[in-house]
Amino acid sequence: MAETYPINIWINEERFKALQNAGLANLLKEELAGMKVLIVPCNEAQRDKVLKVYPMAKYDAATTKSIELLPKAVKDQIYEMVVKKKSLNVMDDFLSGK
Amino acid sequence: MELMGHGGKPLVERVITDKAEAKKKIAGLKQVPASRQMATEVIGIAYGFFSPIQGFMKKADVEATCKKMELADGTVWSIPIVYDISDKEIADYGIKAGISVLLTFEGNPLAIFDIEEIYTYDKEGMAQDVYGTKEEKHPGVKRTYAYKDKFLGGKVTLVNEPKVREPFGPYFLTPRQHREKFQQKNWIKIVAHQTRNVPHSGHEWLMKHAYIAAHGDSPVEQMETIGKAISGVLVNCIVGEKRVGDYIDEAIVLTQDELRKSGYFRDDIHMVTMTFWDMRYAGPREAVHHSIIRTNLGLTHHMFGRDHAGVGTYYHSYQAHHLLMSIPKEKLNITPIYVLEWAYCPHCGEVTCIGLCGHWKELQKFSGTKIRSIIMDEVKPTRLIFRPEVFDVVMDAAKKFGFGSPFVTKEYLEKAKPAFSIAPL
Repeated sequence: MAETYPINIWINEERFKALQNAGLANLLKEELAGMKVLIVPCNEAQRDKVLKVYPMAKYDAATTKSIELLPKAVKDQIYEMVVKKKSLNVMDDFLSGK
Repeated sequence: MELMGHGGKPLVERVITDKAEAKKKIAGLKQVPASRQMATEVIGIAYGFFSPIQGFMKKADVEATCKKMELADGTVWSIPIVYDISDKEIADYGIKAGISVLLTFEGNPLAIFDIEEIYTYDKEGMAQDVYGTKEEKHPGVKRTYAYKDKFLGGKVTLVNEPKVREPFGPYFLTPRQHREKFQQKNWIKIVAHQTRNVPHSGHEWLMKHAYIAAHGDSPVEQMETIGKAISGVLVNCIVGEKRVGDYIDEAIVLTQDELRKSGYFRDDIHMVTMTFWDMRYAGPREAVHHSIIRTNLGLTHHMFGRDHAGVGTYYHSYQAHHLLMSIPKEKLNITPIYVLEWAYCPHCGEVTCIGLCGHWKELQKFSGTKIRSIIMDEVKPTRLIFRPEVFDVVMDAAKKFGFGSPFVTKEYLEKAKPAFSIAPL
């Protein structure tokens, strides 16, 4: 399986309820004593583009193996797309035109 | 009363507190502006954080530090404390060995610098010896390469004490003041927690682990009464040069203090202070330097976890422990407490030490990056992972001091006021 370079979007109670109501709670994983996280996969090209478009972000190769330090506003946009598409595979759409 | 510091030598205190005397001493001296980096070192030297060093190092001390991890007199020392200067500045200010100059900061008098030696040093060699690498992407190496081409060695005397801005004011104590506080608290055993982090529960348990280990063979009965503790945890936050993405210093200091204010530590066993020091990320050598500073603060024990003061993959997780173990006890008069990670175990339903828990496959390890990601998403973590009061303080600090972010941003680097300033004398 090809390696993925995920973006972790942490979910608060309000969003958790909204995802449950939309039947999307199955997209979530639990980590760190019950915290909910939406793990949005990126392929290598998407990762590189994310890092180019948002230079404050970094790929944490040492510990989490994920793209970190993306501003909340950016993650909010990705979250909205996941809810709209009811799928985690949103990064091509998200990055198109950026 | 004479206090003893690192190496069994008297604690250095080179501070003129009488303004009239200070004005008299600096009259007629040539003025040389000091950078923030150098002003920070002056404060460290003059109050004795770096005892027994009395000034910026001369070449023999730098050489011994790099090659043998000791001063020229044999005292253990791991990181060069140097004053760099360019040839042009030497010419412009008429600097030569044997004269004294007045170092200024922000245009105001800071310290008298008795220049004893002007020398050069191979910066690549210094980087390799201290950091174990010549790669410029290592922040300590980068700082080393950025040094100007000459160095000045000689004693410094602070003539104008720094004003420490809010919210740091109450947390800045000199080594002498630390010791006075410990005496007031009747603490006999004191363990240091070195930090540049906002605490999650993993950090909290590391501190508790270290406290229990340090208190060890001391009596416990009196601890049934609050206020009667004879051992303590000192959280000594490092405040200095920052990088984009670090927690802002205000958030670090205030959240560490919140752990006690919210009762996660008793009032009589926990205390937060800060030390001005630019992290070099020298891993094992930095661990030795931290031991020296905390010895000078009057501590008896120092906690060391994994990856102490490291960066990237330059040092292995327990390299600092190995180096500390190689130093004879009589040469470094502080007892190290080596601690393993603490993690969340869903099976136990609690935060536990990975050296104790048998549910290894289920353990959910704390990751600083993950916690930062959660905070950036403004999601309140579960209380087992991150105390809710601490989260509230982080977010409050972001608003008050971080221009909306608890992490250092370019805006913070440009606009935040330095933690200390020097007023006119």
